[in-house]
Formats: sequence, structure tokens, C-alpha cells
Amino acid sequence: MALSLDDWVGLDTTVGRIEGRIRELRRAVEQDGVPDLRTSVLTHLAWVPPAYEQAATDTLAGLAERHPSRAILLIPDPDAGSDGLDAEITLRCFSLPGLEAHVCSEVIELRLRGRRSIAPASIVAPLLIADLPVFLRWRGRPSFGEPWTEQLFELVDRLVVDTSEWLDLPGAYAELAAHFDGVAVSDLAWRRMLPWRAELAALWPGIASASRLSVVGPHADGLLLAGWLRSRLGRDIALDLDERSEVEAISVDGRAVSYPAEPPQTSSDQLSDHLDQFARDPVYEAAVRASQEEHVFDLET
Amino acid sequence: MAVTEQNEQSENPLLEGLRLRRTPEPCALVIFGASGDLTRRKLFPALYALALRRLLPEQFAIVGVARSEETHEAFRDRMEEAVREFGRDAFQQDVWDSLAEGIRYVATDFADEEGEDCVDACLAELDEERGTRGNRVFYLAVPPAAIGTLIQELGERRGPDGWKRLVIEKPFGRDLATAQELNAKLAEFFTEDEIFRIDHYLGKETVQNMLALRFANGIFEPVWNRQFIDHVQITVGESIGIGSRAGFYEEAGAVRDVFQNHLLQLVALTAMEPPIDFTADSVRNEKLKVLKSLHTPGPKSVVRGQYGPGFVEGVEVTGYRDEEDVAPDSETDTFVAAKLYVDNWRWADTPFYVRTGKRLPRRETTISIQFQRAPHPPFEDIASEGLRPNVLVVHIQPDEGVSLEIGAKVPGQGMTIRSVHMDFLYGGAFRTGLPEAYERLILDAMLGDATLFTRTDEVEEQWALVDAIAAAWKRDRASFPNYAAGTPGPAAADELLARDSRSWRR
Repeated sequence: MALSLDDWVGLDTTVGRIEGRIRELRRAVEQDGVPDLRTSVLTHLAWVPPAYEQAATDTLAGLAERHPSRAILLIPDPDAGSDGLDAEITLRCFSLPGLEAHVCSEVIELRLRGRRSIAPASIVAPLLIADLPVFLRWRGRPSFGEPWTEQLFELVDRLVVDTSEWLDLPGAYAELAAHFDGVAVSDLAWRRMLPWRAELAALWPGIASASRLSVVGPHADGLLLAGWLRSRLGRDIALDLDERSEVEAISVDGRAVSYPAEPPQTSSDQLSDHLDQFARDPVYEAAVRASQEEHVFDLET
Repeated sequence: MAVTEQNEQSENPLLEGLRLRRTPEPCALVIFGASGDLTRRKLFPALYALALRRLLPEQFAIVGVARSEETHEAFRDRMEEAVREFGRDAFQQDVWDSLAEGIRYVATDFADEEGEDCVDACLAELDEERGTRGNRVFYLAVPPAAIGTLIQELGERRGPDGWKRLVIEKPFGRDLATAQELNAKLAEFFTEDEIFRIDHYLGKETVQNMLALRFANGIFEPVWNRQFIDHVQITVGESIGIGSRAGFYEEAGAVRDVFQNHLLQLVALTAMEPPIDFTADSVRNEKLKVLKSLHTPGPKSVVRGQYGPGFVEGVEVTGYRDEEDVAPDSETDTFVAAKLYVDNWRWADTPFYVRTGKRLPRRETTISIQFQRAPHPPFEDIASEGLRPNVLVVHIQPDEGVSLEIGAKVPGQGMTIRSVHMDFLYGGAFRTGLPEAYERLILDAMLGDATLFTRTDEVEEQWALVDAIAAAWKRDRASFPNYAAGTPGPAAADELLARDSRSWRR
């Protein structure tokens, strides 16, 4: 169970003050006399436009216990009307079963007001834990090509997106694919389709000659699944898409695919899976590239 | 239908990157000795944990076999209670109900032909009802004396359908001759890859972490040898007594209960060369080389002990000879310590001090690697008087993790050096609960992966060493008890190291 042992809020503050406060927290002797262990396996960055703030906080709460890490939430507010950096630092601690100790890590929430949001990498770089991998969860669609986006990509080892949050698919996949050589990419939409991919793989060898995939589900999920089949089977596969918020049914050449037995994962579980991966995922990258060769037959028309 | 293990992985392009969990093929698990403590405390909680994580096959059944009369329902109820009491997860009724549907109980004597017919009939029914396809894992959690008969019965009845695997609990025999006899009996009916001799220590995450520590880190292996390591200490200490195991323990003693298996396996894992891969035979080949290289210790290099009355954690406890069902003049050892040498290029002249005992001050299993002292610390003697050699300690249980003792400057004026501990707490970095050893081992047996099980030749090497030690003990009568419960063991164990100007870790 998480305990928030300490909180610090700094309005219109500086990175230097934030670093100082983190050091103070590290040295702090716990009032309850229980020793704290600082353990981190990564730095978890999150780019969180205000519309995603609540969702990001909820995911983080379910994640921190599994991946003790310094979490840095970047909340851009370019239209704030003033320039400045506001910070909130929370020390989150978890008790260890059978041990008289807590495991603690910091959650740093940074609000980037006005012009402070145009160079976020320069704010974050001093706050990363040295030598540990850096994962960047980008909420919404990244503005590919913008300097602040590209600078953040250069800083991190892995970019985690959820392309089902993107509204301009499949076009945006081309922009994403152009970054594959620069940063390893994970896609939560791709992870959600894993049980379905396992079901489709079980149809081998019959599926080798498939020519049409029908998906009742999100746009991104359908595109990625079709792209995956095209790239793995090396053949053109048409996609019939009936858009819904969750995958409800999938069929291949008119034959329904069994609904996977695996229960749906929480957003924290999905992100947690990606935080265990470090290498590029060539199967995903090929699926993204092939998803752009889509043949969507709109069932509504 | 979900994909399970598939041989066609190489030709099915859709499987690449799926990172599918290994799920066993449909099978029935038959537990002989189902009324025992092991089934209640370990096996069923482990099976429930596997079910909760959806790691069991969909077509799965469990048959409990024991002498005590009990109905299917009563057995299920008792096991549900056990899972609630000893399981590591919060109990979920739906998960249990689903598992319980496939649970049966057969009351029979293991040597009884008719009883075996009942087991066969039950399994045939389950093949029909649950689709277990004739695949069987026979788990032999029975007294050593019953194993031979069971192997004979199971072997003669193995039938042509499906695969068969045997999981055999320790102790595997009581000396080299009986182990060889058992191995010969097994070989009449089963191939080596169908036999899974369990040493639950090998299923512990932190024991496996020893392999990760050594072979996944570039910094340790170059110094993991006689040039840099002064000596190794391995401790398997228990604060508990023998409980209700007097019948077994009087025969076995510490040397057969722990030294022959857990301790020697830990020595093998510490001293082995890097395997070429992590397949069962590669790992076991390297462990075997260590076991073969172990120099038989002379009588002066082995200390045995038996606890007398004393205090453990503030509670007064009786001596071993006063325990229930223990002979008042028992000469059974409850403590063994030894100085072992691995006679090979890497370890020549580097002692491995090992000890195990009951009623020691605390429950603790550690592997401690003590490095050579720094050759010439450029400090005044007084500055570094608190400085000890670097020690890398692998904590197997409790507080699973690794700690490294290093020298650091005391803050302030002048140069004073003290030893400090750098701790890596396993549960601190990886917050997912550590699976119990039995979860991993039962699953591996169902998957046919024998990497964490002991092979025939390993068992026989271990017994050969123990026989040599025990032979020396037969020649003279021990003066037991020779240590008080709650103390670290007999004085002779301290002297064993003191003769080499060393001491046990406290």
C-alpha cells in the first residue's frame, strides 16, 4: 500500500530548487522511525496535456509499486498567460512485507507555463536518474517535428504511445515510422491486440492464404492488426472496419476468430508490460509501416 | 483456441514477437501422499497460485491419493482451507471453484493393486471428462520406503497414451547404494527426461538469481576465482526444531535432510563454470563437474552436532533427545559443518565452509563470498582498523537480495575507514511478489523442463560424498548434545574456521 510521506509544492520555482528538495527528501529521517530504501529501476517521464491529467495520475498510482522509479509528469500549459515552472514533489513509499522498511521513490509533477513549455528537455535532463533507462509515455499524439518533441525523444530510451488516442490515422503512422531509427517505440494499442494476435496465430496454416480481415473495434487496433498480418504473411490483406471503442469481434475471410480468454488489462498493467521492454520491436515496426497500405471498406456506406 | 507450445514456431510467421507464456499441455497431476503436510502447505497453494495466473492448462485435473479414507468433497474442502491459510494471494472463490471441479481423491494403500486400479479408473474418467489426454504428472510425496513400490506400480501401468512424468521428493535414497537402486528401478520404466527429482531450493527465485548475478554481470565473473576470493561460506540455518518429523529425521539427520541436497546444490551453483546455454543438460553438466571435483573432507574437516535444550527467540525449547518420538540416546545429527575444496583450476585451495543446522539463532540461508583483503591499503593502521575484507552476500532467505560490504571513509577530519553495506533488496526493485519455489517447479515439470531438477549423476555424486562423511562417523560415538538450542552450533564448528584464522559470519 502506498503512503505519501512528504509533499512539497514550489510555485514559480527553478530546477535547482527542485533538485535541492529531492536531495533533502533523500536525506530525510522518517518520523515514524521506519527506514526508507530508495530503489529505482528507471525514470518514468510522462508528457501529459491537461486533458489527460487525471488518466495519467490514475495510471501512475497503479504502476509505481511494480516499477519503483522516479516519475516526472510534464504538464504543458503554453497558453497560461505567464511564463514559469510550478512543481509538486511527492515521496511515495510502499511497505515491504515482513520487513521494517519502506521502498520510496519520488513523483515530480512539473507544470510548464507559457514559454517554459518550449524546451522541456532542458528542464527534465537534470532530474533524470543517472545510468537508468528513461521511458517517456506521451499522452495524445506527439507533434512530430516540433523541436520540444524531438528534444525529448533524444533524451529517452523508449517512447510509449497509445495510437488509439490519435485522430489522424493512418497518416500519423508514417510520421511515427520515421522515428523508429531514433527511439524504440511501444504502443499500448499494439499490446491490447496481443491476445487477438495469439488467436490469429493459432489459425496457422489456414490463415496463410487470408485476404480479408474484419474488425469491429478501434481504428488503430484494426489498422495495426491488418498491418501485422500483411507484414507477417507477405500478402495484401483488405481491412473491413466497423469502428467501436473496444474490440468486439474479429473475423478472417468471414470466419469469426475466438474471443481471447485473457481478461482485459488495466492501463497500469499495459504500461507496466512496456516498461519491461528495452529493445526495438521489429514486428510492431513492420506492422506500423504496413498499416498504411490500408484498404478500409466502410461498413456504414 | 490459444496457442501453446508449438514446434512449428519457426514456420509460423505470426508467432514471432508474441512472447507467449508457456502453458503446459492438458494433463492430470496425481499426488501420492496427498494427506501429508507438503500437499496442504505447499502443493495446493502453489497450484492455486498457478491457476490464478492462468498458467495451468484449461484441461487439467488433480488426483489426490493417500491411505486415509476421505471423500472427494471432504478432500476439496480441506484443500480449500489450506489454500486460504497458506496461499500467497488473496483467495478468489471463482478461481478455486474452477480448479476444484477437476479435483478427485482416491483412498488406497500405495502397494495395493486394487487401489492402483481405482487410481487408473479415476484417471481414465478424467481423460474423458476433462480432456487430459492420458498425460500424467505423478508427484511422489511419500516416505522413501514407499517410492520403490510406487515406481514399479506406475511403471507397469504406464500405458501407451500420452506422456508420463514423475516428480520425486527428497530424500532420493538414504545413501549411494539405495539411490543407485532407485535409479535402476526408475530406468526400467522411465527415461531420464521423464524423471524430476525435486530440490525445492532450486526453485527459489533468489537461488536462480545467483546464476543471474554471476553470468549476467560482467564485473563478478573475472574475480570469481581463487585469485580474488579468500573463501566462501554457505549457511542454511533453521531456528525451528523437527516438529512432527521425528520418524524421518531420526533416519536422515541434517546431513541427509539438507547437506546432501540443498547445501551441495548451492555449492555447485556458486562454483560452476558458465554453461553454454540455459538448457537442462548444459546447466546440470556444469553442476556435475563441480560435484565431481569436490574433495572428500577428512574427519577433521567435518563437524556434527545435536542441539540440547536452550532458548530460541526468547522461548525455552527442549533438546533434540527430548523431542517427541526421538530416542533418548539418539545419535542423529541436527547440525553439520564442513570445509570443502573444489579441486579444479578455478577453485584450488579456496575453502568452501558450509553449515546447516536446526535450532540455530535464526532462519537464514546465505551464500557469502569473502574477497581477499586489499593488498596494501595506504592508510595508517588505526585508520582502517574497522575495515573488513569485501564480502558479497547473496541472501536466499529471508530478505532476499544481495549485499556488498565495502570500505568507505567516515565523514569528518582525517582518514578513517569503516566497512558499510550496500544492499540490494530483491523485493524493493521488483515489487511483484516472488513466486513460491513449488509454483515454478510444478509448472516446469508439467512443461517437461528439467533445468531446475537434479539429474541421476548429480544425486549419486552427492550421496558418494555424504557416504564418505557418514562412514567416518560410524567409527566413533558422538558426545551429543554439543550445542544449546538458539546458539550458532558446536564450538568445534568455530574451531574449524579458527584453525584457518577465519570465523563464521554472524
